[in-house]
This record gives sequence, C-alpha cells and structure tokens, in this order.
Amino acid sequence: MQKNKAQEMISAVRARAAARGVNASFSLHCEKSHLMRIGNNSVSLNTSEHLTRLDIEVINGRRTGSHTQMGDVTSEEYVEKALQIAVAKAEVASEKDYQPISVVVEANVAENAQYDQTLEHLDPAFKADAYQQIIDNVGEEYNFSGSWSSGSMELFLVSTANENTMHHLATDQDFNVVLKHPQKKWELRQWKSGWRLDHFDVEDVINGFRGLLPTYENHAGYKLEPGEYRVALGSAAIAEVVMMACYTGFYGRSYEEKQGWTSKYKKGDKVLGDNINLVDEPADDKTFRFGFDMMGKVRGRFPLVKDGILRNLMYDSMTAAKYGRELTAHTGGSASIVMQPGSADSDLLAAVKGLGRVIYVPALHYLNMPNASQGIFTGSSRFNAVLIENGKVVSPIFSSRITDSFQNVFGNVSLISSEAETVNLSNTYGRRMPEAASMPSYIVSDKVKITDSADSF
Amino acid sequence: MSLSAEIKLQILQNIERVTKNGADYTDARFYTNDDSETLFLYDGNLEANDTNFESGLGVRVLFGGAWGFAATSDAKTIDACFDLALQNARTAAKLVRVPLQMGKKPAHQGHFASPLKQDPFTIPLKQKLDFLNGIDAQLKEDWIAKRYVYAEFQKKNIYFFNSEGTEVERNLANVFAKMMVMALDSDGQMQRRSQELFTTGKGTRGYEMLTSPELFSAHAGRIKEELAQLIKADALEYGRRSVILLPGQGFLQVHETIGHPLELDRILGYELSYAGGSFVDLDSFGKLQYGSEKLSVSAFGGIENSPGSYGYDDEGSPERDYLLIDKGLLVNALSSRAMIDEANQKAGRTVFAESGGAARATAFYRAPIDRMTNVNILPGNDGTLEDIIAGTEDGVVLDNPVSWSIGSNREHFHFGCEIAWEVKNGKKTRILRNPTYQGHTVEFYNSLSAVGDASTWRVWQVDNCGKGEPNQIMQLGHGIPVVRFDNVITGERK
Ligand SMILES: [Zn+2]
Repeated sequence: MQKNKAQEMISAVRARAAARGVNASFSLHCEKSHLMRIGNNSVSLNTSEHLTRLDIEVINGRRTGSHTQMGDVTSEEYVEKALQIAVAKAEVASEKDYQPISVVVEANVAENAQYDQTLEHLDPAFKADAYQQIIDNVGEEYNFSGSWSSGSMELFLVSTANENTMHHLATDQDFNVVLKHPQKKWELRQWKSGWRLDHFDVEDVINGFRGLLPTYENHAGYKLEPGEYRVALGSAAIAEVVMMACYTGFYGRSYEEKQGWTSKYKKGDKVLGDNINLVDEPADDKTFRFGFDMMGKVRGRFPLVKDGILRNLMYDSMTAAKYGRELTAHTGGSASIVMQPGSADSDLLAAVKGLGRVIYVPALHYLNMPNASQGIFTGSSRFNAVLIENGKVVSPIFSSRITDSFQNVFGNVSLISSEAETVNLSNTYGRRMPEAASMPSYIVSDKVKITDSADSF
Repeated sequence: MSLSAEIKLQILQNIERVTKNGADYTDARFYTNDDSETLFLYDGNLEANDTNFESGLGVRVLFGGAWGFAATSDAKTIDACFDLALQNARTAAKLVRVPLQMGKKPAHQGHFASPLKQDPFTIPLKQKLDFLNGIDAQLKEDWIAKRYVYAEFQKKNIYFFNSEGTEVERNLANVFAKMMVMALDSDGQMQRRSQELFTTGKGTRGYEMLTSPELFSAHAGRIKEELAQLIKADALEYGRRSVILLPGQGFLQVHETIGHPLELDRILGYELSYAGGSFVDLDSFGKLQYGSEKLSVSAFGGIENSPGSYGYDDEGSPERDYLLIDKGLLVNALSSRAMIDEANQKAGRTVFAESGGAARATAFYRAPIDRMTNVNILPGNDGTLEDIIAGTEDGVVLDNPVSWSIGSNREHFHFGCEIAWEVKNGKKTRILRNPTYQGHTVEFYNSLSAVGDASTWRVWQVDNCGKGEPNQIMQLGHGIPVVRFDNVITGERK
C-alpha cells in the first residue's frame, strides 16, 4: 500500500523523534462515516462525518503522557507540535511503580481484506430506498424506526522503536430496523451486519418481518412468572452475555485484581460447561478482522475457553507491565470473539420440538453486573421474544428480566446451533472502531432464572 | 479561542446560500476549541495522562421536512460541509411521512459562560497531579486492595448561528472527579466505596470546585471507614422493605426512570432501534399519576454550577426552568423545537407550548437530540435523613450505584448499590453488602413516602450519559434530596 501524505509526514517526525531519543508512538485514525436514522416511517437524520485523529503517546522513563488532536494532518509541524504536547505531559507526569511497555511495531502490516469500495462510497439514497421498500412491503400501518451506519476506517501505526508500519483499511456496516405496532406496542427487529455492501439484503429483511408478524398479530402477550426456565438465547443475546463474561473474566486486569468471576480459578480449570468453546479469532470473516493491536503486536488465534476449560487471559499493556505478564495482542483495537457452533439443527423450532416449553430471547437490553465476583448479570428481553411449546411459537412474551450467573447459563447448555451469525458490537461513541463477534444463531440453556416481568412488551 | 471574523462571515454566507437553495431551516455550530483532559491514578500509578483537542464545524439543514447533517474538522472545507448537509437533507426528504418542522422563532443574540474562578486548563499539570496524589495518599492502607482517583476537565467554546438570524456564543467548562477504594470481603468478593465530586448547586465550576474539601477530598476518610465495615458485613437478604436513597443513588434512579423516559424523541419513537422507547405516550401528559403527591420534578437550567446548566441549547433556545412532574402528575417532557411541533401535530392539541431548551449535541460532529438538562426532585417537607430514618420501621439506606439495568421502555429497573445500612424501628442498625433493589417505574414512584428537606438536597454530576445514533456522551446534573420508597423488592431471590 502506498503511504499517503499524512502518513509520510508522521513517518518523518517519527524518524526525527527516534534520532533525538524520544520514545513515542503515533497513530492516525481516519474515518468516513455515514449514518441514516429512521423514525416514524421517515428519515429523521442523514449524517456524514469525515474525521481525522492523531494520537501520540510518549514514555519518558516510568512517566507517560498522551495527546489526541483532531484535524487534518497538513504539515510535519502539525505533527511535531502534537508530539511536543505529549512530551511535555510525560515530563511532568508522576512516575509509575512499574516500567511501561513501549510500542514496538513488530512487523510491516498492510491489510485491506475487509474493504469494499462500494460500501465506502455508498450513496445515502440507496439506504432511503431500501427503507422505503421495507415500509411499502411490510405495511405502512406499522411504525418503523432504525439506523444504518456504514463507512470506512483507516488506521496507521508507527513508533520510534523501529521503521515498521502497520496499516489497516476496512469498511463496515450495521443495519437495524424496528417495527412497532402503534396500538399493541410490540417491537420486532431485523438486523444485518458485515463489511461488504451485499451483506445487506432487503428481501431477507422483508421476509424476516413477514415470518414473525402472524405470531404477533394473532396472539396476546404472555407474562412469565419469576422462576427457572429453559431459555433459547439468540445470537445477539449470546454475544451480549459472552462479551460481559469476557470483560469480567477473560481479561488479565479483572483476573489479576480479583474483581472478576474467574479470579478464583487458574488456567486449566473448568469455568464453563464442557460444550462451550470461546476463541479470539482475527481470521474469522464473520467478525471485523484486526491483524494488529495498538501496541504493534500481530494478532493471531487466541483460545480463551476450550471445552469449558480456561486456556488464556487477554493482557493489555498496562496490566502486563504492572503484573509482569506477557503482553498479548489485546491493547486497544477490537477482538474477534467467536463462540464455536455446535451440532444442533440451525432451525430453532425443529431443534426444540421434543423439549416442551422454551422461552426464546433473541436479544437482551441493558446488561449489567450487580456482582462481578460471582459473575451475576442482569438484563431484560427485547424484540421478537416468544414462548415456544413443542416446536411451535405460542405467543410473544412481555418484557422479562433475566438475572443469573455466567456459569449457570453457560454450564447448562443442551443445544448449540450449527449455524454461526455475525453480531455487530460496534458503538459509535467517539471514533469509528468496528467490532463484531461470531456467535451460534442460538443456544438452549436448560436453567435460566427469570426474575421479573412487566405487563407490557 | 474566539471565532475569526473570516470564518463567521463564511458561515453566515453559507447559511444564506443554503436557504436560497430551498432549505427550510439551517443551523451551524463552530467549535473553536473542545478541550478535555483526563487524569487517572490507579493504585497511585498515573494510568491516564491524556489531553484531547477538537475543533470543527457541524451543519444541520432541514429540507422538505427532513434533516441532513455534515461535519468537518477542516476549516478549509466549510463550503463543502454546507453542500453535503444540504445534499443529505435532500436525500432524506425522499422518505418523509411526517415532515419535521422547526416552527418560527425571532432572531436573538445570546452569550453564556459557565461561572468559574480558576480555569482548569491554566493550572499547571504538576499542581493537578500533586492534588490528586495527595488524595491517593489519604486512601492508602495495607488492607485496601485497589485505589482509584480520577479527574476530568472540559472546556468548549461554541459559536451558534441559524437561518433565523440567531447568534449565540457559549464558553462551557466542566470538572468531574471520582475516588474509590476496594477490598476483598470474607467471601473473596471485591467490595467498593466511592465518592464523586458533587455540589450544593451554588458556586462556580472551575478548578476551585475540585479543591473545595467538602465537595470532594474530605470524603476520603469516610469511604475508607465504610469499606472497612462493608467487607465484614452480612449480605442483604431478599425481601420487601422500604428503601431510603441518598442523593448518590437517587440521582441515577431519577436519571434512568424519570429523565430518559421523559425525553420527547424517545416518547415519539425516534430511539427505538438503540436506546429504546418510553412507557409514557402523548396521552399521559396531564393524566398519568407518575408518582405520589410528594413527587415534584423539575428541569432547571439555572443551577449555578452543574454540567446541566449551559445557557442555550444546541438550537439556540434558552435553557428553561419548568416542572416535568407536579405533585405526582406528569405535566411536561424534555424537548426540542422539532419534537414539540411533531408531538402537538400528532396529539391534535398543544401538549407542549414551547421547546424545553434541551436539544444538545456532544460535539461539533454530532447533531443535537433531546437530552436531560438538570432533572431534579424538588426538596420536600420530611426533614433530614435522620428524621426519615426515625420514621422508618423496616428498611435500608442505599448509596452509590454498582449496577443499573433498565427495561427498554423504562417501565422496570434493577439497581445494585455499593452499600446498605439496615434500618429497624427507626434506627440504623448495621451495614449490609451486595444490596440490590428492583421495581416497576410507576408503582415505585407512587410508593414515594418521604422527601427530605433542602438540607438533604445535593447536585450530582453525570459525565457519561449515552444516547443516540451516532452515539453521544452527554454531561448533565441532578439535584436530589433524600427520598424513601415503601414495599420495594430488595435483594435477590434464592
Ligand atoms: Zn443516561
């Protein structure tokens, strides 16, 4: 890949800083973002943002300082000025009681395997047309809302440790549409995610709604009493719970500091059910792939849980430095968390035919952790949640709260779908930093605690 | 930094040009600077020593009843930014069922500056670090496993112009801080106590707020003492009892179950695909008994030193002081100009007479949406915390959130707190750990049985309210007295 002007300017300042003995890393983040929002069957916002951010981190002995500057990199002087701000901060900083780890770009990397020019330059009119088709075909009597984010992100990383460069260019999209019945108030959702434009398919979305609507139109809501239920979690719900289990159990920080639910275990101990396998797999095309992290480390396959057994913990640079652990490629950037699919029929209704009553919760809203030490999470059902009896959808369920532990839910899984789905985990707070997990389209856990339910959807 | 005459002229000429090209309404916000600084000491190690600088232009164009927005961080591309915003609005206008309207407002000029004595960005870094290290030293004990001292400073200069001729300049400043100590309890679970920088609502909001001992540093000893008891405490047992919320917990209860459900864009269904909707609908205003008669809630922009006080919102409307809930009855919402117009049309009556002045954007590169300002429970007549405890038979006093999870229409909630004090027959008896409580919003507020007087009222700062797509982090405040709710489910069922 050809270095552009801004990258050349940064490289020149990097070389001069290295010659002066400054220890610094430079990253340039450029995004072209577009987002269309839909509300009340209209486009409510159509927004474009072209933003560039330069991040500089300086290590001076045991002192560190960092500065981020938004704006186009127009001259070497601009980069040098930003560097001086970070240098001055590091000079004054209080010393750490450990030696911070320097950014070392360990190889030359130039990746664009997930870049689709058509998606990057997509005319917003395409999105408006697609929403129009969905509304026209599914029915104007419903209330549609949604959002569709798409764009490109380019990342360039160098440090004073050597002349290597890392470069990442990729596109991503996250499409959502919610259908709400104006009187009955239930909400149904369809979503699509991926890095190519053709990961979106309008027919699929329309058919998805058409498949769900009869159940909702013809059955009243059902209120679950608190108790233990056999629950099928859809891919979005699994991802929510898995990611929270990761943050509080599989990162070195929470583990070393005894704040998480895995702290009482060591590598090699059984922490989840025998049939649970989790891996950070940056080569999985169902995730957004990052071949390196912000410490300049090359990312590769990294097993977290194999057959329920804790295999590895992810260490960011500060945790590795503080606790004297080996740095894994998990500082900044996005992980590619994959839960391995199982052998169950990809059709949930066929898979649960002989199982009696099953609650299907495709998505969870507002997950949080009242007790991280015990791995207890809580969140409530949202979108398309239904009661299934002997493989038939019986009725939609009212908003229901699950409060349970990771180990209970992932320790009693009886079915894992053979099909994997992309779940987009990106948020658009601050900068564009796409993240996605690959999850089975559903899992069935035999004992899940429903602790509360509303009288409405 | 002030806006150059050249850029101002260019913005005004572009507004005129876009209007000539058919825009119904246009506004532009130029941020000459949006500075932030984060300092974070973890176990005495300075883990964050970061500054962030942003500057740029955001343009919003209403065309054919639809919004287009564009932003640029490059001052050389101002013309192109206006073109793109107009083009985006034209595209959006292809799919419009309910055309958005801004209504008409006369032009006005405005200026607002957060009151401050010491600009945090002029205080040398060394001095700030010495102060935070001093607090860290106070928190240090052999038995304490983790220490956390955090401060964040923000400063923004924003210049607003719209096609009605309104011009508003704002110089906003915020100071946030938090300290926390953690230790393992007898079961090997990590417990914590924390204190955030808060105010009584009076005073300035510069660096002097942080260094005022009663607002922050003087609490270091207390949180340590409470943690020492907490790690030896029993866990709260499941059961129905009264909960007395201190402002450090009450603020989040109000934030999540009054503030968010009363944002008019949520009520109208504009947030369904992400943040969620609201159990409140347009019919609820003037009819829904949201809480008991003891509950009066205001949206008040006039609190002197709160991040929810900003003078004018991001469409140039002055911030207002009005009631959202009057003696338990729902009467108003948090709103912006376009949302009230749509709500009134939809309801076929004037539900909202004017904008709540609550259209806020987190940065130049985000379009404003309906946000909280300062959403407050007004002080009541039930005396001090001690008076309220004395009148409680069986309950717990709760403080500071650990966990919060709310239903997507804000109809139900579950909170975990750092600490509980058991109350039996009018007396505080012992500290309890791992407290949680849950409820259904309307039933919960209707069980409000005591509201503390003005002496219990504190303004809690929120620096990280997230909403919208693209996502926006917002800063705001909540003035909250001590409050008691009865017959609440607490603890977890075995
Ligand atoms: Zn919030």
